[in-house]
Amino acid sequence: MVKQPGVTMIIRMAKVEIVGPKQDLLNTLDLLHNRGVFQPDPQLLARVELAPDDRLQALVLGENDLRERSFFQNLYERVAALLELLPKAVDRTSSLQPLPVMDILDELVDQHLTTAREQTLLLTDCRKQVEDLQNDLVFWQALEPLLSDLPLDSNLELFGVTIRDAHQLHALEELLQELTQGRCHVSSATTADGSLVGLIATDREIAESMHKVLTDERVPELSLPEELADLPLLQRITALHELLEAEDINCRKIEAQLLKLSRRWQPIYHRALTWLDERLALYRASATAYTTRLCFIVQGWMAHAEVLELRTDLNQAFDGRVVLEQHAILEEDLDQVPVMLRNPGYFAPFEVMSRLLPLPKYSSYDPTPLIGLFFPVFFGMILGDIGYGVILLILSVFLARHFPPQQLLSNLGKVLGVASIYTLIFGFLYGELFGDLGEVWLGLHPLWFDRGKDIMTMTVFALTVGVVHVLLGITLGALADLRRHRPRHALLKLAMLLAVLLLVLALVSWLYPQSWLATGPLLIGVGILMPILIAAEGLLAPLELLKTMGNIISYIRIMAIGFCSVLLAVVANRLGGMTGDIMVGILVAGILHAFNLLLGVFAPTVHSLRLHYVEFFGKFLDLGGRRFEPWQKRSS
Amino acid sequence: MEQVWIAFAAALAIGLPAIATAWAQSRIGAAGAGTLAEKPELTGAIIILVAIPETMVILGFVVAAMILML
Repeated sequence: MVKQPGVTMIIRMAKVEIVGPKQDLLNTLDLLHNRGVFQPDPQLLARVELAPDDRLQALVLGENDLRERSFFQNLYERVAALLELLPKAVDRTSSLQPLPVMDILDELVDQHLTTAREQTLLLTDCRKQVEDLQNDLVFWQALEPLLSDLPLDSNLELFGVTIRDAHQLHALEELLQELTQGRCHVSSATTADGSLVGLIATDREIAESMHKVLTDERVPELSLPEELADLPLLQRITALHELLEAEDINCRKIEAQLLKLSRRWQPIYHRALTWLDERLALYRASATAYTTRLCFIVQGWMAHAEVLELRTDLNQAFDGRVVLEQHAILEEDLDQVPVMLRNPGYFAPFEVMSRLLPLPKYSSYDPTPLIGLFFPVFFGMILGDIGYGVILLILSVFLARHFPPQQLLSNLGKVLGVASIYTLIFGFLYGELFGDLGEVWLGLHPLWFDRGKDIMTMTVFALTVGVVHVLLGITLGALADLRRHRPRHALLKLAMLLAVLLLVLALVSWLYPQSWLATGPLLIGVGILMPILIAAEGLLAPLELLKTMGNIISYIRIMAIGFCSVLLAVVANRLGGMTGDIMVGILVAGILHAFNLLLGVFAPTVHSLRLHYVEFFGKFLDLGGRRFEPWQKRSS
Repeated sequence: MEQVWIAFAAALAIGLPAIATAWAQSRIGAAGAGTLAEKPELTGAIIILVAIPETMVILGFVVAAMILML
């Protein structure tokens, strides 16, 4: 048995076993389905201990159950197909209990499906017809003005053609004039959608050869429905309008019929579909159950806090026939325990950042509280400006209030709010208000140091934060190993921690010599620890030590990005001042400060997160946990 | 003349890592864009991955600043 997570925000889970008579299985699963707190895990059953004369086997459904399941599955597919065809009519929900009328629904659904399919087919054809007619009309309407220019000569044959571009029109005109020896007239117009159409007028006796030429030259003639083909060209447009109107009315009639069917039956079929879905889910879930001669056994996971309530529910529902037992979580179960994170209050919005990582394992830590504690501090250390802090605070209040709680932007607003408070605090410590504007205009002085000038102090500060953060990470890693009963790993981590600490102190004593801090003994200490680490971890131990020192040096980015931010702010002020005009100066400085603020939000966020994900979490976080997905109704 | 060499050294200290970072980010960015087309839920992780090579130019900047200011 292992110790359950306590200080982390990973919800404590319980391994439970539900046992009862075989005939109560489906009802038990139904109850579990409704409660939505239990995640079955059939893999656990491999370790169940039974009496030697009893045999545990996967549940095999009886003949009746199989027949019923097949019937429900078939009905589900047909109902789903019908609902797919029906238009959305009403939001009404039916209170019908589907089980007593299932046979009637079975017959009705076939009739309705046939009707819906026929109507849908007719509607598709009709809509296609309308679309084609509308397209034809666009072309013929464009040709209408050209027709009025032609003489009303009964000996004329007219061709409507679509033309690719002006170049093709020119080439076609030349070719036709040559072939007909000038006995044709080509005119063109542009349709409403920008296509080019042409009208060719020629003598009736050369119409056949004209057809051939157009076919050979791949110039498509405008098509018309067969019933309009014999009409004189001038009457075709009127006829097209009439035909379009008739088809439109036909479409609306079919739509009305489908809508009528939908209004009457859609709520009932929706209810039936939901019921069938839940029933089939019960059968699927039964695959996770095992049986003995008389009993069923289902094992799985649930939140520890819910165990008592579910046990009471089962007791009441089955008069004590179905029992729930909680088992100890064994060492070998740890990788299987599903993980549920719950971070109330202050830490909850920071889940938007921890969700960027895979889930931690059950025996590891929830990264959210650690991000909640350190991320805003790092952000503030990097940005550290009173002016920017105030702007971000206003922005965060707007985001948090304007968007509904739990929405991404609202949570981001809350995170930004905390980060902006630290930006204000560090702004006072560094004495920055829009860069050096506070110092120039208001005589603002740093409470601690001016990071724009005192670059070494800021470097040492950033590296010190790195040392604390990385050493905390190694300590948490050692604690996690202790919790998993791996004392050797824990000791190695502590030895590594000691080596890093000694190395850091040796560097400090070298850079800032102190009488009480001698470099030599510290390095000797590292020298003593190294063989132990190499013996335990192999030749990779020195590399691990170097990597950890690299991790610490990586925190220098806190200084570097912050320094860039200060320089950009100072440049914005100087450029604004160089314009010589107050309004122009404010505009120039404002634009540059806005740009700097944009960078000042993005860069500290990305780099603070990177310091967490790579440098900090890499020391202790064990990722790759399974999400807790309780078996529940889809609506819940 | 010494000032010129100091400025040149600082320029090299930040210039070369900047080129290296740009090259690494172009490769990671291209791969990340491909990944995002299939898995948009990895947006956050890709942003972090793109930021990883920035360590080079950040350290280059620190060295350049130290060359100039110390």
